[in-house]
Amino acid sequence: MYMIIRMIGEALKGHLDLLLLAILAEGPAHGYAVIESLRARSGDVFDLPEGTIYPALHRLENQGLLRSSWSQDSARRKRIYQLTPKGQQALVTRQDEWLKFSKAINTTVGI
Amino acid sequence: MAGNHIQKYLHALKRQLWLRGVFDPESLEEVENHLLEAVEAGIRRGLSVDESERRAVERFGSVKVVSLAFEREKNTLMQKLLLALAVLTGLFIAYVDSRPTWDDTGITAGAILLSSGLLTLLGYRRPWLIALAIGLWLPIYEIYVSHNYSLPNLIFFPLAILLMASIGAYGGWLARLGIQKTFHPA
Repeated sequence: MYMIIRMIGEALKGHLDLLLLAILAEGPAHGYAVIESLRARSGDVFDLPEGTIYPALHRLENQGLLRSSWSQDSARRKRIYQLTPKGQQALVTRQDEWLKFSKAINTTVGI
Repeated sequence: MAGNHIQKYLHALKRQLWLRGVFDPESLEEVENHLLEAVEAGIRRGLSVDESERRAVERFGSVKVVSLAFEREKNTLMQKLLLALAVLTGLFIAYVDSRPTWDDTGITAGAILLSSGLLTLLGYRRPWLIALAIGLWLPIYEIYVSHNYSLPNLIFFPLAILLMASIGAYGGWLARLGIQKTFHPA
């Protein structure tokens, strides 16, 4: 079981950007909400250490695919991330790449 | 207010981020807010405060894993450029020192010390690697040219050069940490 979780974790890292962009395509969200959404939408399969998601969000922001701003509509400040137009384009490209990739894998393994 | 597990975790993470040269107060605030939100969610599910904090920290990942993830994502191009500059500087110092007309050990030593310090001061995060990248070429070139395989030339001379480069590199690194702490004391 540990090996399976580890394998999923390793495979997930390679596609993390696509997953984060896809979640944020639904609307701006702060890190905690992004992580909860990632876990809920994958039925708890995507369960990386939560702390490793933040550096990935920062990297996407540095690449201009996301932008962030601090909001204070609750007791604590929250850093809200949202897709930029460049991020939306990147999402479409990566979705297309993933579709081709997953089709090739499915065909190869006979699913 | 963050509880005991959270405070301990944040303290350890802050320290690791400092040591890796990637500390940023906003990132730490973001981490703290995440952990507090996770604790609140745990309490809503019926966990005790202590158990909820423990689980929130556990789910967030070990300090080592998280600090490494932050380090990997920050300024990787800048880090590569600084390392390349260190190698070029080390090669240049070795070249100048090898000229027959050059006979000023003091200036060579000063150049190694200063360039190592400057590159870590500019933001390179691994002082030991800068020390190697700058200090390794001079002894290698000296051994290659002189064919002198005596103990002092093989061990003591390289160690002295690497010590000089390390003093410079760690000096610059500490100065950078001091500057960061002064201007971002959070």
